Amino acid sequence: MTKKKKTVFIQGAISPSFIANSIEKHQSKTAIGAHNIFLGQVRADIIDGKTVQGITYSAYTEMAESTFHEIREATFDKFELTCMHIYHSIGTVKTGEICLFVFVSAPHRKVTFEALEFVVEQVKKEVPVFGKEVFEDQTHQWKVNS
Amino acid sequence: MELKVLYFGMIAEITNRNEELLLVIQDCDIFQLESLLKEKYESLKNVSFKIAVDQKISNTSIRLKPTNEIALLPPFSGG
Repeated sequence: MTKKKKTVFIQGAISPSFIANSIEKHQSKTAIGAHNIFLGQVRADIIDGKTVQGITYSAYTEMAESTFHEIREATFDKFELTCMHIYHSIGTVKTGEICLFVFVSAPHRKVTFEALEFVVEQVKKEVPVFGKEVFEDQTHQWKVNS
Repeated sequence: MELKVLYFGMIAEITNRNEELLLVIQDCDIFQLESLLKEKYESLKNVSFKIAVDQKISNTSIRLKPTNEIALLPPFSGG
Protein backbone atom coordinates (compact mmCIF):
# COMPACT_ATOMS: atom_id res chain seq x y z
CA MET A 1 0.00 0.00 0.00
CA THR A 2 1.30 3.42 -0.87
CA LYS A 3 1.55 6.16 1.71
CA LYS A 4 -1.56 8.30 1.74
CA LYS A 5 -0.98 11.64 0.08
CA LYS A 6 -2.10 14.71 1.95
CA THR A 7 -4.97 16.72 0.57
CA VAL A 8 -3.69 19.93 -0.90
CA PHE A 9 -6.57 21.29 -2.95
CA ILE A 10 -9.26 23.38 -1.34
CA GLN A 11 -12.40 24.35 -3.22
CA GLY A 12 -12.46 28.13 -3.66
CA ALA A 13 -10.58 30.64 -1.51
CA ILE A 14 -8.55 29.67 1.55
CA SER A 15 -10.24 31.51 4.41
CA PRO A 16 -8.39 33.47 7.12
CA SER A 17 -10.13 31.31 9.74
CA PHE A 18 -8.73 28.15 8.11
CA ILE A 19 -5.26 29.68 8.40
CA ALA A 20 -5.84 30.74 12.02
CA ASN A 21 -7.09 27.25 12.85
CA SER A 22 -3.99 25.75 11.26
CA ILE A 23 -1.75 27.94 13.44
CA GLU A 24 -3.73 26.99 16.54
CA LYS A 25 -3.28 23.26 15.82
CA HIS A 26 0.48 23.70 16.19
CA GLN A 27 0.34 25.07 19.73
CA SER A 28 0.61 21.53 21.12
CA LYS A 29 3.83 20.93 19.16
CA THR A 30 6.18 22.57 21.63
CA ALA A 31 9.44 21.52 19.92
CA ILE A 32 8.63 24.21 17.36
CA GLY A 33 10.21 27.61 17.90
CA ALA A 34 9.53 29.23 14.53
CA HIS A 35 6.71 29.22 11.99
CA ASN A 36 6.86 30.83 8.58
CA ILE A 37 3.87 31.39 6.36
CA PHE A 38 3.43 32.35 2.72
CA LEU A 39 0.03 33.49 1.50
CA GLY A 40 -0.62 33.97 -2.19
CA GLN A 41 -3.39 36.50 -2.86
CA VAL A 42 -5.22 37.06 -6.15
CA ARG A 43 -4.15 40.41 -7.55
CA ALA A 44 -6.45 42.74 -9.49
CA ASP A 45 -4.12 43.14 -12.48
CA ILE A 46 -5.22 45.58 -15.15
CA ILE A 47 -4.59 44.17 -18.64
CA ASP A 48 -5.49 46.26 -21.70
CA GLY A 49 -7.76 48.40 -19.56
CA LYS A 50 -9.63 45.45 -18.08
CA THR A 51 -9.43 44.54 -14.40
CA VAL A 52 -9.01 40.97 -13.19
CA GLN A 53 -11.98 39.97 -11.03
CA GLY A 54 -10.76 36.53 -10.01
CA ILE A 55 -8.79 33.48 -11.04
CA THR A 56 -10.34 30.12 -11.83
CA TYR A 57 -7.87 27.33 -11.11
CA SER A 58 -7.95 23.91 -12.69
CA ALA A 59 -5.36 21.16 -12.39
CA TYR A 60 -4.17 17.81 -13.62
CA THR A 61 -5.18 16.61 -10.17
CA GLU A 62 -3.42 13.23 -9.95
CA MET A 63 -0.13 14.59 -11.27
CA ALA A 64 -0.43 17.74 -9.13
CA GLU A 65 -0.97 15.69 -5.97
CA SER A 66 2.05 13.50 -6.76
CA THR A 67 4.12 16.61 -7.46
CA PHE A 68 3.06 18.23 -4.16
CA HIS A 69 4.07 14.99 -2.45
CA GLU A 70 7.50 15.04 -4.17
CA ILE A 71 7.99 18.68 -3.16
CA ARG A 72 7.21 17.77 0.46
CA GLU A 73 9.69 14.90 0.41
CA ALA A 74 12.40 17.04 -1.21
CA THR A 75 11.82 19.83 1.31
CA PHE A 76 12.09 17.49 4.30
CA ASP A 77 15.29 16.02 2.81
CA LYS A 78 16.81 19.44 2.29
CA PHE A 79 15.74 21.29 5.44
CA GLU A 80 15.41 20.39 9.12
CA LEU A 81 11.72 21.08 9.49
CA THR A 82 9.32 19.86 12.15
CA CYS A 83 6.35 20.05 9.80
CA MET A 84 5.01 21.65 6.66
CA HIS A 85 1.64 22.17 5.01
CA ILE A 86 0.67 23.23 1.51
CA TYR A 87 -2.85 24.23 0.49
CA HIS A 88 -3.83 25.45 -2.96
CA SER A 89 -7.20 26.60 -4.22
CA ILE A 90 -9.08 24.90 -7.00
CA GLY A 91 -12.04 26.60 -8.68
CA THR A 92 -12.69 30.33 -8.49
CA VAL A 93 -10.91 32.73 -6.13
CA LYS A 94 -11.84 36.42 -6.19
CA THR A 95 -9.28 39.21 -6.11
CA GLY A 96 -8.08 39.90 -2.58
CA GLU A 97 -8.69 36.32 -1.49
CA ILE A 98 -6.03 33.73 -0.67
CA CYS A 99 -5.21 31.01 -3.21
CA LEU A 100 -2.00 29.51 -1.78
CA PHE A 101 -1.06 28.80 1.83
CA VAL A 102 2.36 27.38 2.67
CA PHE A 103 3.21 26.81 6.32
CA VAL A 104 6.61 25.57 7.54
CA SER A 105 7.72 25.04 11.14
CA ALA A 106 11.07 24.25 12.77
CA PRO A 107 12.82 24.54 16.13
CA HIS A 108 14.70 27.65 14.94
CA ARG A 109 13.85 30.44 12.50
CA LYS A 110 16.63 30.47 9.90
CA VAL A 111 15.73 27.28 8.07
CA THR A 112 12.06 28.30 7.84
CA PHE A 113 12.88 31.29 5.58
CA GLU A 114 14.90 29.13 3.18
CA ALA A 115 12.46 26.25 3.19
CA LEU A 116 9.47 28.52 2.63
CA GLU A 117 11.01 30.14 -0.44
CA PHE A 118 12.03 26.74 -1.79
CA VAL A 119 8.51 25.33 -1.44
CA VAL A 120 6.76 28.34 -2.99
CA GLU A 121 9.13 28.42 -5.97
CA GLN A 122 8.76 24.66 -6.52
CA VAL A 123 4.97 24.91 -6.38
CA LYS A 124 4.92 27.70 -8.96
CA LYS A 125 7.35 25.89 -11.27
CA GLU A 126 6.51 22.19 -11.00
CA VAL A 127 2.82 21.72 -10.22
CA PRO A 128 0.37 21.37 -13.14
CA VAL A 129 -2.15 23.98 -12.00
CA PHE A 130 -3.67 26.35 -14.54
CA GLY A 131 -5.03 29.76 -13.64
CA LYS A 132 -7.57 31.54 -15.81
CA GLU A 133 -7.75 35.27 -15.09
CA VAL A 134 -11.38 36.33 -15.45
CA PHE A 135 -12.13 39.99 -16.12
CA GLU A 136 -15.14 42.05 -15.04
CA ASP A 137 -16.75 41.61 -18.47
CA GLN A 138 -16.39 37.80 -18.10
CA THR A 139 -13.71 37.56 -20.81
CA HIS A 140 -10.55 35.79 -19.71
CA GLN A 141 -6.90 35.11 -20.35
CA TRP A 142 -4.66 32.28 -19.22
CA LYS A 143 -2.10 33.21 -16.63
CA VAL A 144 1.55 32.21 -17.05
CA ASN A 145 3.92 32.14 -14.08
CA SER A 146 6.96 34.37 -14.49
CA MET B 1 -3.67 1.63 -31.66
CA GLU B 2 -5.68 4.03 -29.54
CA LEU B 3 -4.20 6.51 -27.09
CA LYS B 4 -6.04 8.36 -24.34
CA VAL B 5 -5.03 12.02 -24.38
CA LEU B 6 -5.98 14.55 -21.69
CA TYR B 7 -6.15 18.31 -22.26
CA PHE B 8 -5.80 21.07 -19.69
CA GLY B 9 -6.19 24.83 -19.38
CA MET B 10 -5.88 26.77 -22.62
CA ILE B 11 -5.19 23.51 -24.49
CA ALA B 12 -8.62 22.16 -23.52
CA GLU B 13 -10.07 25.40 -24.82
CA ILE B 14 -8.38 24.88 -28.20
CA THR B 15 -9.41 21.23 -28.50
CA ASN B 16 -12.84 21.99 -27.01
CA ARG B 17 -12.71 18.83 -24.90
CA ASN B 18 -10.96 17.54 -21.78
CA GLU B 19 -9.94 14.20 -23.21
CA GLU B 20 -10.24 11.97 -26.23
CA LEU B 21 -9.14 8.67 -27.72
CA LEU B 22 -6.82 9.17 -30.68
CA LEU B 23 -6.16 6.58 -33.33
CA VAL B 24 -2.41 6.48 -33.97
CA ILE B 25 0.06 4.18 -35.70
CA GLN B 26 1.57 1.28 -33.76
CA ASP B 27 4.71 2.33 -31.82
CA CYS B 28 3.82 5.98 -32.27
CA ASP B 29 6.31 8.18 -30.43
CA ILE B 30 5.81 11.54 -28.74
CA PHE B 31 7.05 13.57 -31.72
CA GLN B 32 4.65 11.77 -34.05
CA LEU B 33 1.79 12.31 -31.65
CA GLU B 34 2.66 15.99 -31.38
CA SER B 35 2.62 16.53 -35.15
CA LEU B 36 -0.64 14.61 -35.43
CA LEU B 37 -2.20 16.84 -32.78
CA LYS B 38 -0.92 20.02 -34.45
CA GLU B 39 -2.46 18.85 -37.70
CA LYS B 40 -5.78 18.14 -36.03
CA TYR B 41 -5.79 21.36 -33.97
CA GLU B 42 -3.94 24.06 -35.91
CA SER B 43 -4.00 26.55 -33.02
CA LEU B 44 -1.70 24.23 -31.05
CA LYS B 45 1.10 25.48 -33.31
CA ASN B 46 0.86 28.90 -31.65
CA VAL B 47 0.92 27.84 -28.01
CA SER B 48 3.53 26.36 -25.78
CA PHE B 49 2.84 23.03 -24.08
CA LYS B 50 4.55 20.01 -22.60
CA ILE B 51 3.54 16.40 -22.93
CA ALA B 52 3.29 14.21 -19.86
CA VAL B 53 3.31 10.42 -20.15
CA ASP B 54 1.89 8.69 -17.08
CA GLN B 55 2.18 11.99 -15.19
CA LYS B 56 5.85 12.55 -16.01
CA ILE B 57 6.94 15.24 -18.42
CA SER B 58 8.95 13.67 -21.17
CA ASN B 59 11.63 15.52 -23.11
CA THR B 60 12.83 12.59 -25.13
CA SER B 61 10.67 10.89 -27.68
CA ILE B 62 9.67 7.61 -26.15
CA ARG B 63 7.43 5.10 -27.89
CA LEU B 64 3.90 5.16 -26.60
CA LYS B 65 1.71 2.28 -25.53
CA PRO B 66 -2.11 2.13 -25.39
CA THR B 67 -1.86 1.86 -21.60
CA ASN B 68 -0.05 5.21 -21.29
CA GLU B 69 -1.96 8.23 -20.05
CA ILE B 70 -0.93 11.17 -22.19
CA ALA B 71 -1.56 14.77 -21.12
CA LEU B 72 -0.98 18.07 -22.91
CA LEU B 73 0.03 20.66 -20.35
CA PRO B 74 0.13 24.40 -21.05
CA PRO B 75 2.46 26.62 -18.95
CA PHE B 76 1.83 26.16 -15.22
CA SER B 77 0.31 29.06 -13.35
CA GLY B 78 -0.44 27.95 -9.83
CA GLY B 79 0.00 30.01 -6.71
